[in-house]
Amino acid sequence: MATNNLRFAEGDWTQLRRIAAPSFHPGAAEAGAIGLVGKFEYRGRREYLVSRMLWPQAGEVKEADNHALVFDASYIRRAHLEMRKHKLAGLAFFHSHPRADLRVGFSDYDDFEEPKLVENLREIESSTAVISVVLGKRSQCGRVWDLGRSHEALKTLIVVGEALREYPLDGSAAAASPRPSEVFSRGNVLTGAGALALLSRMTIAVIGASGTGSLVCELLARAGCRRILLVDFDISKTVNLNRVLHMKVADANAGTPKVEVLKREIEALGLGCEVVCIHGNVLDRDILKQLRDADVLFGCVDAALPRELLCRFAFQYLRPYIDVGSEIGGDEVAGIAAINARANYVAPGRRCLQCAGIVTSRALRHESLSAAERKRVVAQGYSEDLLLEAPAVMDLNMHAAGYGMMLLRHILQPVLSLPLPVTISENLLTYRTVAPDRARAENPKCPICKANANIGRGDCGFSLGFDAAAVKTITG
Amino acid sequence: MEANKATFPPGIERDVELLLAGGVPVELVDHGGQCYVVVKALATPDPRWGASSHDLLIAVPLAFETAGLDAFYLREPHTFNGGAHPRVQGAIIQVQEVKWRLVSWHYAPNKQWLAGQDSLSSHIEHCRGFFLNRKAINGYQ
Repeated sequence: MATNNLRFAEGDWTQLRRIAAPSFHPGAAEAGAIGLVGKFEYRGRREYLVSRMLWPQAGEVKEADNHALVFDASYIRRAHLEMRKHKLAGLAFFHSHPRADLRVGFSDYDDFEEPKLVENLREIESSTAVISVVLGKRSQCGRVWDLGRSHEALKTLIVVGEALREYPLDGSAAAASPRPSEVFSRGNVLTGAGALALLSRMTIAVIGASGTGSLVCELLARAGCRRILLVDFDISKTVNLNRVLHMKVADANAGTPKVEVLKREIEALGLGCEVVCIHGNVLDRDILKQLRDADVLFGCVDAALPRELLCRFAFQYLRPYIDVGSEIGGDEVAGIAAINARANYVAPGRRCLQCAGIVTSRALRHESLSAAERKRVVAQGYSEDLLLEAPAVMDLNMHAAGYGMMLLRHILQPVLSLPLPVTISENLLTYRTVAPDRARAENPKCPICKANANIGRGDCGFSLGFDAAAVKTITG
Repeated sequence: MEANKATFPPGIERDVELLLAGGVPVELVDHGGQCYVVVKALATPDPRWGASSHDLLIAVPLAFETAGLDAFYLREPHTFNGGAHPRVQGAIIQVQEVKWRLVSWHYAPNKQWLAGQDSLSSHIEHCRGFFLNRKAINGYQ
C-alpha cells in the first residue's frame, strides 16, 4: 500500500499559513484556499505536489464564519478548469479550524460536505483527485480521494524551500525527535536531533560516483543517512585512483562500475547505510525517473547538461538539489587564475544553476549537440575554451563535498547564516570564500526557476530527460 | 554512419509552428539524430552576395531552449564578391541531398543567448545580420 504525502513549495505554504493566521484569533472566521495538484507514484511512494495556489479573489468565498467556510462555485469552477487545462491530477482544498491548536481534525460538516464535492468534481472529470487539509494553529490533518470512492489519510506534509521541513498530517503537532544513537551524537550538537531523525528517514540521491560523489557518500553515511541512491554510468579506471575514495587498483584493473565500488565500501562501514546502485546515465529518461525515490538530490557531476536536468527535476518534483563542483579559471596566457570549490542549493523559490551563472547556455548547447555536430563546431575553433578539463584532485573535491554536506545539514535544521547565498564558492588560490546572495546571470524569464510552467507538476508535467538513442547521439 | 533519429526538442517545434503561422518558410529535419531547422529563401540584402536570398540550416541542441542556438550552415553554392566569404569556411555536410557549409557567426560576449527571451525567430534575425556586412565589429576585409 502506498504512503500518501503532500509536498509544498515553501513560498506557497508560508502564504497559506499567513492567510490562515488571523482565523486563530478568538471569534475569527475560518480561512482557506484551493491549490492545483500534480502527482507521481513510484515504489510505494505516492506524492501530491501543490503546483500552484489559486488564492481566493473578491466574491470567491461565499460564506465564512467561526464554524464554516464555503467557497463560491465560481472559485471551484475556476480551479477545476485550470486543473483540466494543464492536465493536472487534482485539487487541494485547505481551510482552518479557528479553535484548533495542537490537535485538529475534520468536523462532521467536513465529513458530510466533502464527499459531495468529490462527486460533483468527478462528474466533470472522473480522474480528479481531491485533497482536503484542515489547519489548526500548530497542527494539520489531511486526506485524499483519489483512486477509489473512499478517502485515504495523508501521512506527511513536506515543505521545500530555504529549508526542508516535515509535518505530520494526522492532526497532531510535530512530535519531539528521538535522541540519536551514540555514533551520531556528536552531529547532534550541530543540528539537533530533529535533523538527524529526518536524515535517517530520507533517501538521498547522489548523482556522480567519482571524486566528489565518493566523498559525499562517505559524509552522508557518517552523518546518519541510511539510504543512498547512487547514479553513475562509468567504470573504475586507473586515472580515477587519485581521487575516488575507496577505489582500489584491483577495481581499476577489473573495470568495476564506480557505483558498485562505493556500495561495497560504504555498506562495509557498518553504519547501517544502504547504497542502491543505478548504473546508468542520468540524462536517460528512465534513469532520471528513478530519482523520484529520493528526498534530496546531491549533484556531483562535471557537466552542464546533467546539472540543467537536475535543476528541472528539482522544480518539477519539488525536491531540494545541492550541486557541488570544482572549477578552474584561467587560460594558457594568464595561467591559473582561480581554483574554486563550490556548492549551490537549488529549490523552489531559489535560483537555478543557469541564473546562478554556473551553467551557461553555451556549455549546454555544446553538450547537447550530436557528437558529430559537436566535432564540426570544435573543428571550427570557436568552442576551444569549452574543452578545458575540469580539475580532478581529491583535495579540491573535499572542499566542495564539505560545503555541500554543510548545506544539507543546514536545510534540515538551519544553522548557517541567513539568508542562504545563491552560491558558496571558495577560491583556494587566494584563500577567499565568497557567498553572493544575488544571482550572477539572473534571467527574469528563466524557463527553469522563474517562468517554468512545470513547477510542482510531477508526472503530470513535461517528461524530463532523453531517450536512450538521443543520449547515445550526444554522448557519442 | 549516424543512425539515431532525432527527438525534436519541444521548444523548437513550438517556435517553428509560430514562424510557419507567420508565413516564414522553416522546416525541422533530422540528420543522424541531430535536429536542424531549414530556413528557406532568407532575403539577403547586400548586393555583394551572388543571390538575393539564401537557404540556411541551423543546428538545434537537444537541450534547446536553455541551450541556445549559435551559427548556421549556408546552402552551397554561394558567392560573395564573386568568390568565397572569409567566414564561410567551416565543415560541409549533406542533409536532404543538399550540401551545406558551416558559417562562423556567433553571438557577441556581451549579448549571449538568453533562454526565455531568445528564440528561433531572434536567431534568424541574428543570422540575417551576417549578410548585412556592417563591419562595425569583427571586420573581415
